[in-house]
Amino acid sequence: MIRVLFFGPVADRVQAREMQFEYTPGLTLHDITARVGMQHPGALSIVSFIAVNQNQVHDKQLALHDNDEIALMAKFSGG
Amino acid sequence: MNEPVRIQEADFSQDEEITALKAGSRRMGGIATFLGCARDFSEGRDVREISFEAYGSMALAEMKKLRTEAIAKFGLLDARIVHRVATVVAGDNIVFIAAGAEHRAAAFDGCRWLIDELKQRVPIWKKEITPQGESWVTPHP
Repeated sequence: MIRVLFFGPVADRVQAREMQFEYTPGLTLHDITARVGMQHPGALSIVSFIAVNQNQVHDKQLALHDNDEIALMAKFSGG
Repeated sequence: MNEPVRIQEADFSQDEEITALKAGSRRMGGIATFLGCARDFSEGRDVREISFEAYGSMALAEMKKLRTEAIAKFGLLDARIVHRVATVVAGDNIVFIAAGAEHRAAAFDGCRWLIDELKQRVPIWKKEITPQGESWVTPHP
């Protein structure tokens, strides 16, 4: 299972904090973001940072593993 | 004493943080601090409350990395970072950073770098609640 987490403005647009997708061998980060984008294009449009297992990643062709945790995040505004 | 890097709902004491920082070294000759607090006005609108949300585990890990990097980069003797994740009103504390070094230049530089990097790298978001409604804050440079 792949968990996709949403926070702040992205969570508001998805109207959920989390989605889950079944893991299949060969699954990439792009596959997941594309699925989220199909369902919630408005949310994906404000995603500026993506983390996999709490590490920021830039390569959407990254191969995922079962039980990976993905976070789709808007620009940060803490402080 | 509390951990030097924390995310918490409750308010913090600047005095306690500085006391903890000083306790780590007798060589500390300069401490620079930054206190971020809530305003009641933003972008031309009254602000009633500010609500914070974080990707807690990643935010804490990133803040710990920032502390380690700042100590190495500026030769600090120690540093502390505390960020609240709560709903706050005008005047309330939000974030506190303290950087201690042998001399003031490194303390000032380290403190400034820490808050600038925190804003860029730590997954925390703030939402302003105004009489006209709520909106997530677009980051400032």
